[in-house]
Amino acid sequence: MTEPVTTTKTTAPVTPEAVVRIDGLSKSFDGRLVLDDVRLEVGRGRIVSVIGQSGGGKTTLMRCVNLLERPDKGTVEVAGEVVHEGGRTVCRDLARLRRTVGMVFQRFHLFPHLTAVENVVLAQRKAGIPEQEALERAVALLRRVKVAHRALAHPDQLSGGEQQRVAIARALALKPEVLLFDEPTSSLDPEATREVLSVMRELAADGMTMLLVTHELPFAREVADHVVFVDGGRIVEEGRPEDVLDSPAQARTREFLASYGTAS
Amino acid sequence: MNDIASGLFQVPWSEYRPDLLDALWRTVSYTAVSFVGAVLLGLAVALLRLSKAWPARAVAAVYTEVFKNVPLLAIIFLTYFGLASAGLRLDVFTAGCLSLVVFYAAYLSEIFRSAISGVHAGQTEAGEALGLGRTGIFSHIVLPQALRQALPGTNTMLVDLLKSTSLLVTVSAAELMSEGRLITSATFRALEVYLVISAIYFALCYPLSQLLLLLERKVRAGVPLSPWRRRRMRAARVLLASDLVVDADRKEATV
Repeated sequence: MTEPVTTTKTTAPVTPEAVVRIDGLSKSFDGRLVLDDVRLEVGRGRIVSVIGQSGGGKTTLMRCVNLLERPDKGTVEVAGEVVHEGGRTVCRDLARLRRTVGMVFQRFHLFPHLTAVENVVLAQRKAGIPEQEALERAVALLRRVKVAHRALAHPDQLSGGEQQRVAIARALALKPEVLLFDEPTSSLDPEATREVLSVMRELAADGMTMLLVTHELPFAREVADHVVFVDGGRIVEEGRPEDVLDSPAQARTREFLASYGTAS
Repeated sequence: MNDIASGLFQVPWSEYRPDLLDALWRTVSYTAVSFVGAVLLGLAVALLRLSKAWPARAVAAVYTEVFKNVPLLAIIFLTYFGLASAGLRLDVFTAGCLSLVVFYAAYLSEIFRSAISGVHAGQTEAGEALGLGRTGIFSHIVLPQALRQALPGTNTMLVDLLKSTSLLVTVSAAELMSEGRLITSATFRALEVYLVISAIYFALCYPLSQLLLLLERKVRAGVPLSPWRRRRMRAARVLLASDLVVDADRKEATV
């Protein structure tokens, strides 16, 4: 596990090598401000967890990293390259950006017409990786997330936990520099949640850089180096998990944590 | 009983066999060519209807509504007699196929449109997140799923199209029904001739629809149908069977 760096409660950690750097980011949908002047940094090998109520802008923030959502204002920088600035996409190769950033969705979004192994192969082939190499890598990744025995099954034959683990393997297939997890366990039962969290724990131990939107506060406390509480489109509070989750400075954070019954 | 049968079948069928085979071939040709054309045009119209540009949507909507609400026979007469009177003389095969294409494309476009828009938006998003471009997403993610969805309706249309080729008798297209009319006019045995012609249609359509049902079932069960997918699955099976490589794989898979 990486040692958490000491941070103050109001500023994001400053690391020399940030895989994701977001600054002054704002985004509105139909005139409703969803994100307001947000600043966020994910250093290499770090795990940043974004918490907050549904509809608070967490997911939108995450989707701005790989530009599934285009911000209205602010800068998005991924792996040292500014990809979006001042409301304009300046990234020259969107496909490459998205291969640099792996994403795992709440509802898995596996391709139902393909088997598990084909799900992991598809994007690799489109990225120009030779067939045999792509296949070997897919099988290796399915072993890594412990679903190799279901490699030839279709998504509808898999349990929720298995589907999400295949989705993680699919996101890893292009060797991304950072993985985005958008509430990866929110549509899973407790058993499946344990399976998925155990895979994520292993990824964390392997030094994977992750940005994680989650409702699993105990998990965030366990693996995250940095916790960010987002509410009403703004970062209300951030810092080390034990600080934010155990002794929050802001009243709004305390209120949120109390509603989860996890504030100590 | 024998009397009825011998009374019913008096046409010298063996003499007509070459003509019937020729007519059968024509029916199959009309069906195959028109169906391929209707699928392509139907897909194009469906894509126009899903376009972001409203003029494209409007053109496609007008097309679909016009051809869905005009009888096929009227379209056949328009393309063969109508266009000829306006100076555009199409041969009967072209006119016949064209009529069937424009008519069935209207129905198929509706089937394709609902199938394509039925593919969950999350699928496109997952494709985008994996760095696939628009064409990659459409051809590898949306289209295969839409085709699966559209298969039952499309299959119904194919059998329907085959039966509708019989309407081409009105322009003497030399297909089965036209041949039946010819034999009838030579033998005056209408009941016998049209029973045989109907039996031939049935012998074409029933196995075809059963075959298509089988295909639907296989596709729904996710059986890989294309040779490259089968090859990929075989290769995957080989890899999955080899336990020896587990350690090497683990090392390689570490990001």
